[in-house]
Amino acid sequence: MPQFDFAVWPGQIVWALIIFVSLYVVLSRVLLPRVRGALEARAAKISGDMEEARRLRAEAQVQADAAAKEIADARLRAQRTATEAKTRSADEAKARQAALEADLNAKIAEAEVKIRASRDAAMTNVRGIAADTVVAISEKLTGEAPTAADVETALASVSAAN
Amino acid sequence: MAEPMKQFEVHTIVPLNVAGLDVSITNSTVWMAISATVLAGFFTLAFARPSVVPSRAQSVGELLFSLIDDLAHSIIGHESKSFMPLVFSLFGFIATMNLLGMFVVPFTPTSQLAVTATLALLTIAIVVVVGFWKNGFGFFKLFVPSGVPIALLPLMVPIEIISFLVRPLTLALRLFGNMLGGHVVLNIFGSFVVSLGLLGLAGGVATLGFLGAGVALGSVVALLALEFIVAFLQAFVFAALTCVYLNDVVNLHSH
Repeated sequence: MPQFDFAVWPGQIVWALIIFVSLYVVLSRVLLPRVRGALEARAAKISGDMEEARRLRAEAQVQADAAAKEIADARLRAQRTATEAKTRSADEAKARQAALEADLNAKIAEAEVKIRASRDAAMTNVRGIAADTVVAISEKLTGEAPTAADVETALASVSAAN
Repeated sequence: MAEPMKQFEVHTIVPLNVAGLDVSITNSTVWMAISATVLAGFFTLAFARPSVVPSRAQSVGELLFSLIDDLAHSIIGHESKSFMPLVFSLFGFIATMNLLGMFVVPFTPTSQLAVTATLALLTIAIVVVVGFWKNGFGFFKLFVPSGVPIALLPLMVPIEIISFLVRPLTLALRLFGNMLGGHVVLNIFGSFVVSLGLLGLAGGVATLGFLGAGVALGSVVALLALEFIVAFLQAFVFAALTCVYLNDVVNLHSH
């Protein structure tokens, strides 16, 4: 076997050591750090991108929450405005109604006063007419006119009896 | 028939003699250098401008790196990072020599016991140095398995010492034997194709030689596929065992 020709061993041993050590130095100092760097850069990029995506998602969530809250607020405000408007219009209607009623009541009261006044006037006239009638009837029956004082007394006693 | 061992002959290309030692540049040393250059060249080109989205070459480089990095991490643990370059250099160097050797022209340095023994002894030497550096004389606890009754220690300690001393031998012989065997078998089956084919040309009953040549050719194709796997696997096995031996001394306390 040529492998056991020990004359070629020293050369192979020495060169194997020299070549392997040089290869080791080149790989460990220059090339392998480059490979590890590339792998780590990729891992960092992926985790960085994931982190960024997660951050953006959280941000979007916050914004969505804010939007939802705003919508809820707006709905609440709209409801309150509607309720207020309803109450205000109801109040206004009530006030107008009350004013109208007061006006009407005042007019009624005024009318009643007028009626009472005209009735009183009428009643006064009736008394005059009665007195005139009493005077005329007494004149016709007795031929003499009673005095105004007698007539007043008589009318007073009649109206008191009534 | 060609001599199957002829392919392993070492030829001197540039005679060199330093301090009485014959350190000539031979076909073996030339192909070692070419393998190392191919490996370093590949990584230089693949990672000239590394990008987040890798090119094909960069993907292959990252795959090989991760293979060894994960292997070292799973065996050695959190201290694997400082040993990974060594394990990767062994794996890459051996794998490149094995795989280049699968082609017709290149010489296969890993089929030389001198080369595999050098790498194995270097590995074990590093393991011993790391062992002493990490544990001081606690390194010798490696030979005293924990949890063994004291009565058994006189038996266990010599076994452990012998198994440690055998490590460089098995490491060197496994790689050497695999590469040697594969190349010899391929050479023999390849020469069968030629000799049986020539026999078939004689005509008559000898025409059956073509059949034999066809079978041999099929075997060569199948074996070639197998040998490619072996070439890669033996480099991986060497790397894995290096990790196991390093783990023994790096995590000595946890045994």
